[in-house]
Amino acid sequence: MELLQAVVNGLLIGGVYAVISIGLTLVFGVMSIVNFAQAEFLMIGMYVGYYGWLRFGLDPILGAPIAFGIAFVIGVLIQRFLIERVIHAPDVAQIFLTVGLLIVLENLALVLFGSEFKSVRTGYQTSALSVGGLIIGVPYLFAFAVSGVVGILLWAFLRFTWIGQAMRATAQNGVAALSLGINIRRVRQVAFGLGVGLTALGGSVILPYYTASPTSGGQFVVLMFTVVVLGGLGSVLGAVFGGLAVGVIQSVSTLVMPIQLQNLALFVVFIAMLAVRPQGLLASR
Amino acid sequence: MKINIRNSRRGAFPSDARRRLLGGAAAAGAVAVAGVVLPSVVRAQSKQVNVGVVLPLSGANAQFGINSRNGIELVADEINAAGGIKSLGGARINLIVADGTSTPTTAASVAQRLISQNEVVAILGAFASSLTIAIAEVTERRGVPLLTMSFADQITGRGFKNIFQVVSKASVIGRAQFDYAVAIAKGAGEDIKRAAILYEDTAYGTSQATGLRAAAKDANIELVMDDAYPLGITDVTPLISKLRATDAQMVFPVSYLNDSLLIIRTMAQQQVNLPAIGGAAGYVIPDFVKGLGELSDGVLSISPANYDSTPQLTDRFRKRFGYFMVHEALEHAVCLGVLAEALETAGKADPNLLRDVLHRDTFTKGWSAAMTPTGVKFDQTGLNTMASPVMVQWQKGELATVWPKNLAKAPARWKGKSV
Amino acid sequence: MKLARLAPLAPLAALLAALLVLPWLLPEQGYVLRVACLVLLFAAMSQAWNIAAGLSGQLSLGHAGFFGAGAYTSTLLLIHFGLSPWLGLVAAGLVGAALAALISLPTMKLKGHYFALATLAFGEAMRVIANSWGSLTGGPVGISVPFVEPGFALMQFQSLRPYFYIMLAALLVTCVVFHRIRTSALGLRLRALKNHADAAASLGVDTAAAKLVASTISGGLIAMLGVLYAQFQFFFDPDTAFSLAGISIRIALIAIIGGVGTVAGPLIGAVLILPIEEATNAYLSSHAAGLSQIVFGAILIAVVILQPRGLLHLWKPRRR
Repeated sequence: MELLQAVVNGLLIGGVYAVISIGLTLVFGVMSIVNFAQAEFLMIGMYVGYYGWLRFGLDPILGAPIAFGIAFVIGVLIQRFLIERVIHAPDVAQIFLTVGLLIVLENLALVLFGSEFKSVRTGYQTSALSVGGLIIGVPYLFAFAVSGVVGILLWAFLRFTWIGQAMRATAQNGVAALSLGINIRRVRQVAFGLGVGLTALGGSVILPYYTASPTSGGQFVVLMFTVVVLGGLGSVLGAVFGGLAVGVIQSVSTLVMPIQLQNLALFVVFIAMLAVRPQGLLASR
Repeated sequence: MKINIRNSRRGAFPSDARRRLLGGAAAAGAVAVAGVVLPSVVRAQSKQVNVGVVLPLSGANAQFGINSRNGIELVADEINAAGGIKSLGGARINLIVADGTSTPTTAASVAQRLISQNEVVAILGAFASSLTIAIAEVTERRGVPLLTMSFADQITGRGFKNIFQVVSKASVIGRAQFDYAVAIAKGAGEDIKRAAILYEDTAYGTSQATGLRAAAKDANIELVMDDAYPLGITDVTPLISKLRATDAQMVFPVSYLNDSLLIIRTMAQQQVNLPAIGGAAGYVIPDFVKGLGELSDGVLSISPANYDSTPQLTDRFRKRFGYFMVHEALEHAVCLGVLAEALETAGKADPNLLRDVLHRDTFTKGWSAAMTPTGVKFDQTGLNTMASPVMVQWQKGELATVWPKNLAKAPARWKGKSV
Repeated sequence: MKLARLAPLAPLAALLAALLVLPWLLPEQGYVLRVACLVLLFAAMSQAWNIAAGLSGQLSLGHAGFFGAGAYTSTLLLIHFGLSPWLGLVAAGLVGAALAALISLPTMKLKGHYFALATLAFGEAMRVIANSWGSLTGGPVGISVPFVEPGFALMQFQSLRPYFYIMLAALLVTCVVFHRIRTSALGLRLRALKNHADAAASLGVDTAAAKLVASTISGGLIAMLGVLYAQFQFFFDPDTAFSLAGISIRIALIAIIGGVGTVAGPLIGAVLILPIEEATNAYLSSHAAGLSQIVFGAILIAVVILQPRGLLHLWKPRRR
């Protein structure tokens, strides 16, 4: 029973990890850049959700699309003016551009919003459903549901819309896509905007049970990377699977090891994955 | 294409261009260094005495650093408005505030800078124990007094002569957290046999947990759960599930804000209705009640000091900054109050003289009295022997001191009963 | 002629002479001298990183793992066995080298971003281990170097001047090691595999062995620098010694801004970055927390965009 509860908890929170991390994997798939600043957009999403709640009484889950929109715009601008410049530069430049971005975003938040932890209060924050002996926290359930909806929308987007298909084409083979007349610059902008937008959306969705602060993004960095590596950098479906897996691993590992070491378990999985199967569990190449 | 063998062999030695660049870089570096060195050698004028303040103003502890700075500024402004340090000819207190960041290396460098460049007579800081310990290494070797409210046991355990800590140490606070809670429960008619402790795994949580553990052992109370969790934990559900599965009668969480909110909310969600006795930090700031609303009511916590012991002083903070005087602000205010008193007695802005006065005297005037319960007296290790932690409880959005009885301003509430 | 070949060395010699004299021009316990010591130390650390990253393209974001291991090794030996830090240096070097070799095994075949991520995880794992293994390391509270009478034997000094010379010596050692590797046969093999690993392998270069050697030397050196850090700071905790942002990223940054893969890069980077950080902290921080970091991050972005290969390459003549 305890195990079942742990697995259910892990799946619920894993769904959110998936949505947060999809953006990271999308960006890598389309432009081969690991965005070390991705988690900062989680923080941005949290702040948008928070102020939406504070000023307009908007529940952060309803405010999530707004977080998406704002982050999308910021993402497109960052891609256009900064990231695009290092697309063909050596790895070292790409890595450190996003690292610099991380530093700037985190401290910009500190200057603009101050250091206090901002928390929202919603009616359902402390409610839980009791299903056959299992306790399911309502905010987690909502977050999971939203993640599921977003996941499906994303899948449809990539599958059925022109630009979604263009993205997949660019991810597969940039040169071929270019030769087919796809404006890969535009595709990259949209991909980046979409990627950070999704992460920001995730940030707003978890606000009912988390707090916003300039450093809140940083807590998720390792998690996000483990998720995408598990599923395979570049694979959206992999991120979903990876997210759920990480959630469950985190949750179940606390049954057998001290919770303090839960991150250590993740690191070991992470390094093992990279050593044994760097393309991830789901990628085909 | 000629391969220039000579150049590739001397690859590391500068060619013309590189030499110029090296020169340019050295010049740039020199300018930057000069920019740091030249301006601020402020001599301690007879009209002004420099006091260094090192606090985390950026990074995860920024909020606490800012609160602390507010407390210090309040006292400095009051003293200056009342004419400054009389025995120094009305010298104004000039605060030199610097960001210790969250890195001990930086904090130590900053302290060094304040001592060398600004010739501060003493340093106040740095909230986080790791920063304070790093700074203490510098101040001890330079013979400059360091006044702090950090409370890791190590701070006063090194035999340093220049460290002055106004609060009790972590193990004592941890013990008090445990013992007072058991006493309150007993007063309400409940005999405690099993308890749980949860703590965030940085120096703060770990050292306080040591005190809790020792107290549990001495009281023969079984710890059915004793778990550390990573500070940035994103989900405490597994932790609370585990708690629910034990038959603990009360839980002692030691957390900062994010985790404290997570814990209390998740406990409510999972219907774990145990009394929670927090370990200060996240449990005693306004954001706690802002985040939890009514859910915060009745939550107990230990605190090194509380504002309701001297409202005549602490209300001034509330008036100026708009929130109650959180304990770190209060304790830093006490530090400055003590320093000012010591300066008055010493009559000279001399760190050596100050140190002797700080060790010798008892401080109960002005802001020194705000230190719960009555004031400050340092022993040879630098610990304030008059400090006594108190148990506070959230009652209607305010923190009321409820234990020990002789210091209580309101009755404690335990599971619906008043104690 | 002999003299003509030595002429380009003249500015170097002048610089060295200036550095040797510097500590006597500054107050011996002063702030500027302290910053100078840190500049030298970080330049040395960055140079050690440069050996693995600059010469063989292994962009590690986890060097703090070796650094912290070195600091803890020597300090624990000092606390428990009274072993002098000079001997602790040797122990630390061995520990660092062993760890580097160990982590090389699973990460040998990884490229670019993947390698960076794996090393990042390694560094963080070391931090978590140090935090949780309290009985060995003292846990999150950190450990202090025992306070003893200042003296050479135990590498503890009241004045900052001896530290300056020790750091300077460390820097020279790392630079010499870097240069020697670079101009050796190993260096040629590393350069080949850095530019195109498959081509190099097809030419018979044992890429695995070359990478292993480079990374082992790099890890061992930086672990030894951890000892110097411990003896200088007197106190550290897992979050500091194994810091991702404060150590791993920082030393990479220094080398990148200065010019990764060159011997002067880390020096330039350290001389620029550390004083700028200190200056921005001094002038900006008390007015608005976080401003100094924004400035710093912006500078990093600017440098990376203007010249992704580092400032040094801004002036480098184009090779045809």
